[in-house]
Amino acid sequence: MLDFSILTDYMDVFLEGFKITIIASFIALICSFILGTLIAVMRIAPFKPLNWIGTVYVEFIRNIPVLVIVFFTYLAFDFGGMTAGIIGLTVYTAAFIAEAIRAGIMSVPRGQMEAARSSGLTYGQAMKSVILPQAIKIVIPPLGNQFINLVKNSSLLAVVAGGDLMYQGDLISASTFSTFDTYIFVGLFYLILTIPLSFGVGFLEKRLARSN
Amino acid sequence: MISFDKVNKFYGDFQVLKDINLTINKGEVVVVIGPSGSGKSTLLRCINHLEKITDGTLNVNGLSVADKKTDINKLRRNIGMVFQHFYLYPHKTVLENIMLAPRKVLGQSEKEAKELAMYYLDKVGISDKADAFPSQLSGGQQQRVAIARGLVMKPEIMLFDEPTSALDPEMIGEVLDVMKALAKEGMTMVVVTHEMGFAKEVADRIVFMDEGQILEEAVPAEFYENPREERARMFLSRILNH
Ligand SMILES: Nc1ncnc2c1ncn2[C@@H]1O[C@H](COP(=O)(O)OP(=O)(O)OP(=O)(O)O)[C@@H](O)[C@H]1O
Ligand SMILES: [Mg+2]
Repeated sequence: MLDFSILTDYMDVFLEGFKITIIASFIALICSFILGTLIAVMRIAPFKPLNWIGTVYVEFIRNIPVLVIVFFTYLAFDFGGMTAGIIGLTVYTAAFIAEAIRAGIMSVPRGQMEAARSSGLTYGQAMKSVILPQAIKIVIPPLGNQFINLVKNSSLLAVVAGGDLMYQGDLISASTFSTFDTYIFVGLFYLILTIPLSFGVGFLEKRLARSN
Repeated sequence: MISFDKVNKFYGDFQVLKDINLTINKGEVVVVIGPSGSGKSTLLRCINHLEKITDGTLNVNGLSVADKKTDINKLRRNIGMVFQHFYLYPHKTVLENIMLAPRKVLGQSEKEAKELAMYYLDKVGISDKADAFPSQLSGGQQQRVAIARGLVMKPEIMLFDEPTSALDPEMIGEVLDVMKALAKEGMTMVVVTHEMGFAKEVADRIVFMDEGQILEEAVPAEFYENPREERARMFLSRILNH
């Protein structure tokens, strides 16, 4: 039988961790979206050196465990656990978001870019006004899934004392010695976040499918 | 206004354009015809640098298209292009489609761009569809919007790549009418089309291409009645008897 007194006694600690998990995931999402868009545009820009930089970034980062990246940002800079964790998550997630956005951009018919360019728009203007607004529709569902992954991956903040839900769980289990029960509650808190997100993504997917 | 001088273009080992020499003067309407894969689209797309020529010289509006110093965006402002599949921006209304380039490229104000867009929509006969989205229009209407989108930049040259080939037969006329009116106003036009009626009525010259070469250049009456080249004759009999 689960020991609910852990939950009630340590509610404020759980909530503190829950809050930090939300904040860290959210900041990392915004930052990795911006970085990911930039890298996606670099990968398809009509300029070889930019393509290379984009490709190297994606291939390099995707193939390193996120745990290693978070350790690296923590050890390389003197930012404290939470900031280092957010940077690590951003760097990692941006590679996946870049791939999702690139796929979205590639799915916009080539004629759209040609029509925009032939009326005198620069590459950047055409991207911003014509291509990206169309690509975003295709990109929203995979982006939602990346966000869910991000929430789960944010548990890695615990290893650099980032103050997140997992970290608070570690502290609670250390002082209560009820490791099993504590982590069940931690898991439930993650579900409170990820299940609605998962439904939200499914809903968006259906809506977007219908609007096409 | 447009002059090709010994222009060649390759895709890898494959030569799409072979020694093209062609001059198009201001106000001329030139119709390009030829079998599928003969390089008509490529020829057209070289003019506004959607395709790069491999060698030779191509001058448009006094600018050398292949020259790295040429500002391609500036060149393109003066050349409208209409595609077989329209390529309207599906996320923008008709009015927004037409206003985009004037706003972004010419820096026109919202009000100025809107007035001008309405003027050209009226000209192509669909001002009542200003707030519709492209998906709500028929093919013929979409193509007329695409023409208005080109005209709103007040270009000196209009390029048309098979503008009616994707249309249902009953909509071809409305698009050709707009193009004929444009030709009669003195617009310089290069049109890839197999519409003989259009060619006979407004073209100054027919250019017949085959396998990347210009095989024959003639005035429409002469070309359609009595083509010099055997391959042109074969091609014409095929499109007339299909
Ligand atoms: N990007 C490309 N890479 C390689 N080959 C190409 C490319 N674009 C066109 N081609 C080839 O060049 C040739 C000429 O193509 P082009 O589109 O200019 O012909 P077209 O006369 O317009 O034909 P159609 O009547 O079918 O439109 C074709 O054989 C085509 O397969
Ligand atoms: Mg073609």
